[in-house]
Amino acid sequence: MARKVTYAQALTEALAEELERDPTVFFMGEDIAFGGVFGLSRGLQQRFGVKRVFNTPISENLIAGAGVGAAITGTRPVVELQFADFVTIAMDEIYNKAAKWRYMHGGQFSVPLVILAPEGAIGGAGPEHSQCPEALFWSAPGLYVLTPSTPADMKGLLKSAIRDPNPVLVMPHKALLNTSGEVPEGEHLVPLGQADVRREGADVTVVAWSAMVPKALEAAKRLAGQIDVEVIDPRGVRPFDFETVLNSVRKTGRLVIAHEAPVVGGPGGEVAAHVAEKALMHLEAPIRRVGAADVPIPQSALLEGAVIPQIDDIVAAIRSTTRAAAANA
Amino acid sequence: MSDLQQMLGFYEGILRCMLWEQGLLDMHAEGRISGFYHAGRGQEGTQVGAIAALAPEDYLFYAHRGCGYMVARGMPMDVLYSDFLGTSQGSTRGLGAGIVHIAWPALGILGQSGTLGGSFTLAVGAALSGRVLDERKVTLCLFGDGTSNRGTFHEAANAASVWKLPVVWLCENNGWAVSTTFKESCAVGSIAERAAAYGMPGVVVDGQDCVAVHEAARTAIERARDGGGPTLIEAMTCRFRGHYEGDSQEYRDREQLERLRRERDPLDVIASRIRAALPDADRKLSEIRTRVSAEVAAAAQKARAGTAPQKSRVFEYVYA
Repeated sequence: MARKVTYAQALTEALAEELERDPTVFFMGEDIAFGGVFGLSRGLQQRFGVKRVFNTPISENLIAGAGVGAAITGTRPVVELQFADFVTIAMDEIYNKAAKWRYMHGGQFSVPLVILAPEGAIGGAGPEHSQCPEALFWSAPGLYVLTPSTPADMKGLLKSAIRDPNPVLVMPHKALLNTSGEVPEGEHLVPLGQADVRREGADVTVVAWSAMVPKALEAAKRLAGQIDVEVIDPRGVRPFDFETVLNSVRKTGRLVIAHEAPVVGGPGGEVAAHVAEKALMHLEAPIRRVGAADVPIPQSALLEGAVIPQIDDIVAAIRSTTRAAAANA
Repeated sequence: MSDLQQMLGFYEGILRCMLWEQGLLDMHAEGRISGFYHAGRGQEGTQVGAIAALAPEDYLFYAHRGCGYMVARGMPMDVLYSDFLGTSQGSTRGLGAGIVHIAWPALGILGQSGTLGGSFTLAVGAALSGRVLDERKVTLCLFGDGTSNRGTFHEAANAASVWKLPVVWLCENNGWAVSTTFKESCAVGSIAERAAAYGMPGVVVDGQDCVAVHEAARTAIERARDGGGPTLIEAMTCRFRGHYEGDSQEYRDREQLERLRRERDPLDVIASRIRAALPDADRKLSEIRTRVSAEVAAAAQKARAGTAPQKSRVFEYVYA
């Protein structure tokens, strides 16, 4: 049985269920006690008490670093950075401590830490509250990075992340919070590192994640009847299910990578490089990347829309791969 | 334990740190160790005195001035050597550790951040764990005066005090951040003064006097364990060697350094205390030296026979 739940509710359910299930789980972050600026932790402090759900000072280094310290001493902390952009404030704690503590110390510790950090543009939050920073963590072995695109994935991935013995950066997309979708009743876990083929198609592979998944699905719908589009959601960048992507590309011969982060220096570059290394001879057209322009995100909601990739951009990119194929023929 | 027994224990502890380090410097001179070594000579009184005040279940985040912290905590000395030799017998299982990244969870030695000041926030986290799990463990976090200028100290000290966590902050103030003096880098006259900003006691203690440091640490640890919250201890100490082996220390006054070595050696300080309390002290101290020397030599010999890891070792323990 499944029910319709919002992405935000799915997140709260995951937190509540894991707090209930495991007394070593605790949750801390800025302003989370009253429910948080996005209302994601409403009711949790009343239910689980101040020892397990509590506010922190505005101290991002502390939030992430104390998460690591707690994780190596017998608890499973879930810590929140109010905006994913704040990973840059806590970069030493995430990139060096969370990701490397186990490795650096000879595997004597595990770091079962979840860093929850809502990402993405929501219309006017500005250059430092709208970014999708997942590309930074392609170079962070030791860390997992998840970007759920549906309520079911939000719940299932977060629950799996909390139970995982490794540090996991979970970045829900703010623009998806009010979207709804079916979530299975009862225990629902989604394994880490398994891509989801969201739509099967024969002509073009679109790899899209986070808020670009619904946009890619809409683009595929618009092109239905002309171009048969396959949409794959890798659900994050670490671990990355290259196998599913490669299998799809071997079938379609065309690849579009769509993410909200900028194209330049963005997370799609690694995917493109990997496919080029492993499956170049299967490609019938150049790989296309769809992402934000190579500029900071403007504060104006109007101009933000001009920087963030839209459905039309994905449609155009898909079309260009088929035209390129025709031109090459 | 009588005062005399305790002092003999401190003498033995300081000596063990010194001799272990001498053994490491021998290996360094032979070109057998990789990476840097930041000698701890001169600061063992602080390290031994403070760590002796911990309970077995407590947590330790050490600083990078020598390995006195781990030796004092009782980590096997051959394992410690092996981390510098980069053999599979080290705590990092062959990955190597230039002081930072040595860890021994069984003794609560939780490792160290390679970036200075990176351990402050982790110390708060270890103490938070105790709160969630209803444990009464204390976390001792050591750092240098230079490191105290990191912003992470502010965030960690503030949070630990707000939450009244059982953390003891212990600053080893040797007056030098590599080549930069304390006066050049600190706006106040002492690190302990900063405690006021976080609503915790700030205590200054003679870091060369193991007994004094132990007393201060014991008081702070008891207070922390009883729910009284953190304390900041500033141990005034001396760095007898360069920041790293090979540091010419051109920036230091030679005469002053020689005087410190002559007059402020923590081993001499504790030996004087023992001599005042025990008539035939020198015989006893000499016995201790013979025993500890043999122990350290055996550890070095065992470690020297260690084996290097395969190159495939680099792919292990990335993920759990």
